[in-house]
Amino acid sequence: MTEAIETHGYTKDFGSGRGIFDLDLTVKDGEVFGFLGPNGAGKTTTIRLLMGMIHPTRGSGRIFGLDADADAVAVKKKVGYCPGELPQWGGWRGTEIVAYVAGLRGDVEDADVSLIAERLDLDLGRKYREYSHGNKQKLALVLAFMSRPRLVILDEPTSGLDPLHQQAFYGLVRDARSGGATVFLSSHVLSEVEHVCDRIAIVRDGKLVTVSTLDQLVGMRAYRIEIDFADSVPIDRLRATPGFEQVQVTGQRVTGMLRGTFEPLLAAVSGHRVTAFTSREPSLEEIFLTYYSDPAKAVAAAR
Amino acid sequence: MTLLRLALRYQRTGFIAMSVIAGIGVLANALGFAEIVGDSPADRAAFAAQMELLGKQLSVLLPVPSHLDTLAGYLHWRWFGSLGLVFAFWALMTATGAGRGDEERGFVETWLATGVGRLRYLATRVAGFAIAAAASLALLGAMTALAAQLAKEPIAIDRIVLEMASLFALMLAAYGIALFVSQLVTTRRGALGLGGIVLLVLYLANAATRVGDPSPLARLSPFWYHERNRPLLGEGLDAGAMLAMTAIALVFTLLSVVAFVRRDLGSALLSGRSATARRVTRPARNPLLRAPVLALLWQQRVWIFGWAIGLAVFAFFIVGLTKTIVDSMAAGPPLMRLYLERAGLVGYSAFIGGIWFSMLILLLSIYTVAQVAGWSADDAEGRLATILSAPVSRARVVIERLLSLVLACGIVVAVTSLAAYVAASGQGIDLDVPRFALASALILTVVFALGAAGHLVAAWRPRVAVVALSAVAIWSYFLQQLAPLFGWPDAVKNSSLYALYGMPMTGVNWSGIATLIGIGIVGTVLTLRAVQTRDVGA
Repeated sequence: MTEAIETHGYTKDFGSGRGIFDLDLTVKDGEVFGFLGPNGAGKTTTIRLLMGMIHPTRGSGRIFGLDADADAVAVKKKVGYCPGELPQWGGWRGTEIVAYVAGLRGDVEDADVSLIAERLDLDLGRKYREYSHGNKQKLALVLAFMSRPRLVILDEPTSGLDPLHQQAFYGLVRDARSGGATVFLSSHVLSEVEHVCDRIAIVRDGKLVTVSTLDQLVGMRAYRIEIDFADSVPIDRLRATPGFEQVQVTGQRVTGMLRGTFEPLLAAVSGHRVTAFTSREPSLEEIFLTYYSDPAKAVAAAR
Repeated sequence: MTLLRLALRYQRTGFIAMSVIAGIGVLANALGFAEIVGDSPADRAAFAAQMELLGKQLSVLLPVPSHLDTLAGYLHWRWFGSLGLVFAFWALMTATGAGRGDEERGFVETWLATGVGRLRYLATRVAGFAIAAAASLALLGAMTALAAQLAKEPIAIDRIVLEMASLFALMLAAYGIALFVSQLVTTRRGALGLGGIVLLVLYLANAATRVGDPSPLARLSPFWYHERNRPLLGEGLDAGAMLAMTAIALVFTLLSVVAFVRRDLGSALLSGRSATARRVTRPARNPLLRAPVLALLWQQRVWIFGWAIGLAVFAFFIVGLTKTIVDSMAAGPPLMRLYLERAGLVGYSAFIGGIWFSMLILLLSIYTVAQVAGWSADDAEGRLATILSAPVSRARVVIERLLSLVLACGIVVAVTSLAAYVAASGQGIDLDVPRFALASALILTVVFALGAAGHLVAAWRPRVAVVALSAVAIWSYFLQQLAPLFGWPDAVKNSSLYALYGMPMTGVNWSGIATLIGIGIVGTVLTLRAVQTRDVGA
């Protein structure tokens, strides 16, 4: 079966280490795929490459088997797009923008436009310059979904949306998937991908760090540990424990991140009075931070 | 200081471009004068007489000639006479950028959010322009002194300094007017269009006084006051004129500040409430919005309508003067009649063809430059990315833009030519209608060539497209004027797009027209190649 998105060695090198490098990625037809990374990681560059807005330095990107660069026009018949940076339409009314883009696409039903605009609670009768940032974002989403595309590419789609309309957006994504569409969305909001994504890729400094399912990512064997000691803290033994990282001591309390099994840690605390021992699965936020920050920052941010 | 440094940085391109254009122009004119004026007093007197004939013919565009047997007199008429308009164009570009463009791009909001007051923000931008303008004029003054030395006819430094002072006052006045106009609209494009029309009307109001009585409108024109100053001719500055230009600059700058402080960011000074009360969730039903090319024309309907009406009024005014001008020239000395014959301007019809169409080309060039600025903005402001996210090829975007440009200019030309025809008929001038229609239609070849060249530059370096295309337009205009004067070879003369158009009312220059079409086609092909390889938004 043809993959929705397939990239091999996909690279856009802007110089000075900026861009995306050697990206190998596969997005299956019909899945919702999250593309996570901090600002400047290369998410928008990847999306602009897939949309044929910029040309790759090397490598290839294919959408439903078509070359994203060479077959850009054919690709876009199958793709809806929401850019990360919203365009400026000045004094145009929302109705005019939608009609103009619909005219360019040629495959848009007015009823679909109305449906999406109503779900997002967007008044198309107002001038673009009168729209708030959130309303501009809603209009970008209308333009992305209105042609019922086979693939929807969304660059930070919930930016500026309030929680109520974020839920409406998640509903649009779910409906698109249930209708057989593939959704590729970039974000740095983890709760967003937790809501809707089947699989997630994480990029950092222009490089792909990992691709996994949401369950796999959350289920990584890493735990937040908090131990309260009644008397002295065996800090040397704890620091020497294999897999116990990011160790912090505050009074009688020790915190850290444990990877692997519990046996070495339990051995390290044996013989000491422990008043409380807490372990919990890390949140996606904490997993995310372990990929993007140094350990000290990760611990600080996770608190 | 940071804000001022930023304001100065915004002036960089304009400063370099204008300094180069003005400097090269003064050098070329001075050296050209030294070349052709002759050595004996008799030769000089004969040259001056010939130039005065030409000057009267060009009196709508250039100041009334005087002391043309001297370098100072020649430079005053031939170069500094039109330089005011060039510098006013710079003022227009930078004032609309400061007054509206930066706001569109969100820079103003960013600065205001840092605690910078609106008054300070705008004052700094004005100061940035004033410093850049003063520096550019200082360079021009130095270049003028050098050119005069090279031409072996030195001009006193104090005269040059006073000439620069007059130009400086004119630039600040034009800047103030354009800055105020920017407060009345919501987009940079709108500010450029409206500001361009206002400055053009003020320029033409002054120009009209050279062939008739001063109208009240001329008294409002900074160009009129600038022309009262003739320091290069040793007549010093007119204190009243300087005061008037300074007052215009101050009043409009202060009005701009008041408007900027009073209005909401992103809004025009006089903006009404949204008229739509009912929620709308359906796309517009206007079929034009969904049709290729026509959608672009519909988007610019107000802009096109404004240009068509404005130029039609201007055409009616200019053509309405034809009989007066031609009759007075024909009644002049024998040399004058001889000149009219040599210049192919014998008869009302030929005069309309020579004078009106050369003006129309210049004005349509300004329209084309504004369009090219819009194409660059489409890229910078994300609209192009939205268009290309639809199944639309980059080639189609280019072709549609050029077609819409030519069609829009076609509408403007049709309306203005109709106005010119009505004005001519009203005076009993019997125009050869098929030839007049052909001459009107052939102007579109200039638009096509200039638009294609502009798009090529916009695809290559969007940020310099406007400056580069303006330079081509200015070059073409002055080359068209200078080449016959200096007897330059056809190869040089034909590097002006305007010269290639020729004077179709007296005889169509088909090879020139073919060259213009060729430039348009080559420019289009190269643009198509350039847009395929470039990154959108780069």
